[in-house]
Amino acid sequence: MVLMSEQKELYLGYATDKAVTPFFQKFLEALAEEKLLMSKCTSCGTEFLPPREHCQKCLSKAELVPFTETEAKLRSYVIVDFAPETLTSKAPYVVAIGEFPSGKRLTAHITNLMSMPEVGMPLKLGFEKIDDKRITYKWLV
Amino acid sequence: MARRVAVVAGGHSKFGKRYDATMRELCAEAYKPIYDEGITQDKIDATVLSYAASQFTGQGAGSALIADYLGMQDIPHLRVESACTTGTASLRAAWGMVAAGLYDVMMVLGVEQMNRVSSATATEYMSRAGDMRWEYPYGISFPAFYALMASRYMHEYNMSHDILAKIAVKSHHYGAQNPKAHLPKEIPFEEANNAIPICRPLNLYDCSLITDGAAAVVIAAEDRVKEFTDRPMWIKGIGAGASEMMIQDRPTLTSIPGAKRAAKAAYEMAGVKPDDINMAQVHDCFTIAELIAYEDLGFAEPGKGPDLVENKENYHDGRIPVNCDGGLKSKGHPLGATGVSMTYEIMKQMRGEADKPSRQIKDVKYGLAHNVGQSGQFVNVFIFERGWS
Ligand SMILES: [Zn+2]
Repeated sequence: MVLMSEQKELYLGYATDKAVTPFFQKFLEALAEEKLLMSKCTSCGTEFLPPREHCQKCLSKAELVPFTETEAKLRSYVIVDFAPETLTSKAPYVVAIGEFPSGKRLTAHITNLMSMPEVGMPLKLGFEKIDDKRITYKWLV
Repeated sequence: MARRVAVVAGGHSKFGKRYDATMRELCAEAYKPIYDEGITQDKIDATVLSYAASQFTGQGAGSALIADYLGMQDIPHLRVESACTTGTASLRAAWGMVAAGLYDVMMVLGVEQMNRVSSATATEYMSRAGDMRWEYPYGISFPAFYALMASRYMHEYNMSHDILAKIAVKSHHYGAQNPKAHLPKEIPFEEANNAIPICRPLNLYDCSLITDGAAAVVIAAEDRVKEFTDRPMWIKGIGAGASEMMIQDRPTLTSIPGAKRAAKAAYEMAGVKPDDINMAQVHDCFTIAELIAYEDLGFAEPGKGPDLVENKENYHDGRIPVNCDGGLKSKGHPLGATGVSMTYEIMKQMRGEADKPSRQIKDVKYGLAHNVGQSGQFVNVFIFERGWS
């Protein structure tokens, strides 16, 4: 997909896919300002993290709204020693699924571990600018 | 009501790093024994090609290529893709066409050619079966999805890695007795338990192989079965299930919800219970996947799979023999061929034609195949019944 010229080229994490939609672009631009957005269905009110443009229940449009929880618990983790080609230079890295008190979940790297991760350990939501174009949410312990 | 359908013949290539062959030659190897039994091209009404990942070969229109190579250029064909469950998805599609009366005799041919790219590239391709927008950007490889299940399982049930290593030891014990296996060698427990990490807590011997290979089965409608064999293996139950795309969205990580749904549907259709099953071919793409399969299929209560392993109930002479051909782990996992290979193995075991007595399961009346796509997004469970006494 061709990006509009005035649109800043942004990627989530180590994504290779340039194809963004206006909805996803808005999510990425907010993320660049360290704001995490979820989406909320304009018809039935169901909330989604990560955001979906269409409600999974009623397929109505969902709108981006701020996500305000910042503390989570580690639901599960993996230490990736042998990485896919695009992330070989980053290995080993830790991927964790964190669960917020509301039950919403997010999958991201934990970047500041000093010891082995443990299921149930507290996690804090963080942000990182990987380079000029790459931004991400992440987990901190 | 639909017509009954039976598996009447099968063929299997050598699995391995097959630098001597590409997908077309592998398919010929799988079809040749079937042809030699007298099921020539003119006896087959249509074929389904089970071919999961064309990015490995770059070959589009795969089913046309294979049909032509096998001398079936004028016989209808189609391709099915459902990641690692492509084999049984193809069998499910073919079963539907035969049961409905569209065709009487069909061949399902499964193949994958995966070793012409590097391991890192293969890992890259397989990681793209995760959600490209939300999971792929974090480098979640195929083993990583199962490692997320393993970490959680080990935590919830306080299980050590020893259990997973014991599953690997069993797989290799049987793979060593299977001349078609990719890595036919015994692995000592210590080696399996302490191998180099791939995606911790999973190590090298927890992971299946990147394999080239093909397998084929022929199915026929009940009124045509006698033309082909007096030892038909009836397709008695078929269950398909699905789970959430993103692994974080699953209600549990210690079970595959879609596998439970598939198993329930298959048992109901077949009218049998887990206790009736004499052998199972389960989708052990990783050792943790085999452990979870014991529980999802009802062979063990949740959290009790490790007891089944400790008691060696999963060996060929145990209560529920599992993967006595080496499984994906030692026999290998050429994605599209895997579900077809499971079906082939159950047929051979039922016929008493396992390669060696030391892996021959006694008196198989009901065999079950459990074939999982990606990390559980789609699952097919088949129950086969011996059609002779
Ligand atoms: Zn809605």
